Amino acid sequence: MGKYILKRCGYIVIVFLIVSLMMYMLYNLIPSDPARAELEPQRKSFKNPEEYEKRYQELRAEMGLDDPMIVRYLRWMGLWPDTEVNGGKLNGLLQGNFGYSNYYKRNVVDAIASPMANTIFINIFSTIAALGITIPLGIFCAVHKNGKFDQSTQVVTMLGYSIPIYIIALIFMFLFCIVWRLFPVSGMKTPGATYEAGSWEEFVDMLHHISLPVIVMTFGSLGGMTRYVRSAMIESLSMDYIRTARAKGLREKVVIYSHAWRNALLPVITSILGWFLGIFGGSVVIENTFSLSGMGKLYWIGLNNNDFELVLAIQMFYSIVSLVGALLIDISYGLVDPRVRVDK
Amino acid sequence: MASNKKGFFLVRWFKRMFMGPDKEVVDIMQEEQLQTPFKTMMKKFLKKKTVVFALSMFLLIFAFVLIGPRYWVLDLSEQDSTLTNLPPGYNMMSIPKEARGKIADIAPGGTYGIGIDTNGYVHTWGTTRITEKIDLADIPDEVREAKLVKLAAGADHVVAMDENGQLYVWGNTRLQQGNFTSDMKKEMQKGWKVIQLEASNQFSAVVTEEGNLYLWGNKNQNDINVTKKYQGKIAKVALTANHYVSLLTDGTVAYTGSKGKGNPLATTPKDMKGKTIVDIAATSSAVAALSDEGQVFVWGNTVRGENLIPEFASPVKKIYGGRYHFTALLEDGSVVSWGNNKYNQTAVPAVLTNGDAKVSELYVGNHQNYALLEDGTVETWGLKGFLLGTDDLGRDMLTRIVNGGAVTMTVGAISVIISTIIGVLLGGLAGYFGGKIDIFIMRIAEIVGGLPFIPFAMILSAVIGSRLDSNQKMYLIMVVLGVLSWTGTCRLVRAQILAQREMEYVTAAKAMGIKETTIVFRHILPNVFSLLLVNMTLAFATCMLTESTLSYLGFGIPLPQPTWGNLLDGANNSVVIQQYWWRWVFPAAIFGMCTICINMIGDGLRDAVDPKSNER
Repeated sequence: MGKYILKRCGYIVIVFLIVSLMMYMLYNLIPSDPARAELEPQRKSFKNPEEYEKRYQELRAEMGLDDPMIVRYLRWMGLWPDTEVNGGKLNGLLQGNFGYSNYYKRNVVDAIASPMANTIFINIFSTIAALGITIPLGIFCAVHKNGKFDQSTQVVTMLGYSIPIYIIALIFMFLFCIVWRLFPVSGMKTPGATYEAGSWEEFVDMLHHISLPVIVMTFGSLGGMTRYVRSAMIESLSMDYIRTARAKGLREKVVIYSHAWRNALLPVITSILGWFLGIFGGSVVIENTFSLSGMGKLYWIGLNNNDFELVLAIQMFYSIVSLVGALLIDISYGLVDPRVRVDK
Repeated sequence: MASNKKGFFLVRWFKRMFMGPDKEVVDIMQEEQLQTPFKTMMKKFLKKKTVVFALSMFLLIFAFVLIGPRYWVLDLSEQDSTLTNLPPGYNMMSIPKEARGKIADIAPGGTYGIGIDTNGYVHTWGTTRITEKIDLADIPDEVREAKLVKLAAGADHVVAMDENGQLYVWGNTRLQQGNFTSDMKKEMQKGWKVIQLEASNQFSAVVTEEGNLYLWGNKNQNDINVTKKYQGKIAKVALTANHYVSLLTDGTVAYTGSKGKGNPLATTPKDMKGKTIVDIAATSSAVAALSDEGQVFVWGNTVRGENLIPEFASPVKKIYGGRYHFTALLEDGSVVSWGNNKYNQTAVPAVLTNGDAKVSELYVGNHQNYALLEDGTVETWGLKGFLLGTDDLGRDMLTRIVNGGAVTMTVGAISVIISTIIGVLLGGLAGYFGGKIDIFIMRIAEIVGGLPFIPFAMILSAVIGSRLDSNQKMYLIMVVLGVLSWTGTCRLVRAQILAQREMEYVTAAKAMGIKETTIVFRHILPNVFSLLLVNMTLAFATCMLTESTLSYLGFGIPLPQPTWGNLLDGANNSVVIQQYWWRWVFPAAIFGMCTICINMIGDGLRDAVDPKSNER
């Protein structure tokens, strides 16, 4: 097992390097000149164009803009020493330097910290909620296959995964914010309200604001997940060992939860991965619709304002989340299903 | 062996799939009842009523967006500030029942009408709601009690005058539409004799019997000054959207405001010099004048065909101006309209063109025309309203939904084709050859499939698409969606081929010495085709969803080109959700219906193809 995990980790590192190189190359397709951008405001302080040009060339060398792209990439990654002027040390992603956000005028790390916390908080919340609803619902539907409840659930889940999440968000906004006036339409906190940092009121206010986004995200993921759980359960309920278990006279609860469900878990886990990745994509939409300050909103702002250092950092975060997610799924395969021997 | 082959292999596949086996094959297997795989599938597929319903719904929507753009032609530069955020309905010219036959005076506004019946009662119709709080149909009590003699309807305000010359203004008065000037108030108290009352875009005008002109309203946007030397000589005034032109008592026309310099409205046509003008009228940016010889002159900004004056069958009696069209009443009682005909403003009913009906008065609003006949009935032509309302730039939602659907469906279909081609090729190679090729391809699939889809598509669209125009961006989105979503198909094809590879017919083919690539693409793939069809159907819905999500976020197909996604752009605030519900409900409804139908068809197909899934 340990060996397998090590091997997978090595694989993750390679894939991460490939993906980051691809992203860096994409980023370099954009015609931009940071040296020119930095020097342009001070143009008037130079006496003549030659001096300006000289300073410009110096700055280019300082920033390392004339080096080949692979060197610049390795430098950004933190695998190649920085230029002499900037200290000549390794100073990149791996050392915790994520670059400088032009839009926010501060380091990307600082700009990202609080939105990342928000996004993870929201996503974990809705993941727990969605799993807590879909698994029992899917099992119930599978056990009572083709009953009235099952059929109506099928219809609702079909709606859930056919309708884009922003339309669900609009409908829920209409119902919850305008008809019933339960939640605010957008934002992270009540405008104008000041709370002590870290106080209970602040937390409650935030919960009040994020409950609708969480409800929408949960509802959006109900459809696909419930169907997966249901079909996996039906598959395993039709197996011979279930008949055997029933013939032995086991209680129905034992048959369902310990015989059928454990075998249905495997395909469910696979689908959870895809869904978990989708939820980060979905949070871009949700955060924009509800104006929440999260990673998705930040990503959107960065892309709209050509702040590509910020965008790259967030993209790296997404990549790592997906790679680590894949690893976790693989490992949990081995834990859930003894037939799958991951160390081979 | 080779001599038996007829035609290209893809064509033969297609025949076997949909039309049945070759004749010789049937002869061999005559004792068995033979059906093509497709027929078997269709039979099972059409058994379920819900699926058939979904299929017919989808075909309806498909036909709608396929044929629709021919009837509702999209004009990307279209916008009209007077038609913004109009609710659905065709009531802009429907005079209330109780007023029919006894209308005495009509003042047509931009999207509404207001009229007095013979009993002096005021009626309103059309879209009278200006904002959430302001509704022109809420007529003030003092107006209800007064005996009104004149009415004028502006863009968002109404002016009425009672028999004593007292003016009343209601509607939107936030931009000084109701603030009379001080000399006006003096005259009003003295008891003035008003010969003309007009209202336009946030400003209004009064012409008195003495030839004085008084203007009031929004100063910043409109020219509401009167040059002193003309005061006392003005006979009639014609209001454009932001300016006005006066007919003087000596039979000439002059721009009597203060913004005449370089204004096309101030330069009257040369051949009009010396002619005596008897009537003037104005559209939003052009003016027409009628000489005593019955000749019509048009000048100003005439980009919408206002200057294409038709031949008149008899001398013109009076002229009227809409927003982009003119209407003329001729001596013989017939009516002629010319100018922009987008909303049928110039399509005069046949009763009025042949002079059968006796017109006693014409009233022309922005896009509406009312002809009051002598028998008291009213003939109307022009813009009735919009079936699905308009958006924030005054564009017809129906046109945008139809054309947006065409774009979304095209993008979805083409990206599915791209992703299927890539997926089948790579999946086929990986599945059949295995080994290093398999590992390599599946690793790539893992990487591509592992990336969060929407953020990745966003960055591709932003980076590559930053220098592309709307059409190129559409192609880019197709390619991006295709290139990012092939992994599912690849995995499916690979898994199927791994299973099929062990079947007897493949062994038989191998034993006959058929080439390996031939076995994969000609023997195995046709057996995978039905599953592929299911996959494509479901992927079609997914691609449409992704395209619309990207467009909604602003990284797909850019505005003003509509798609089902970017139609909902800007709908996520409480004002739009509540007040302008038609702006999101209709696109959301048709799009939701479409994807639900496609998913139902896909599910139905899967049930038909995979007998095992029937049990589920």
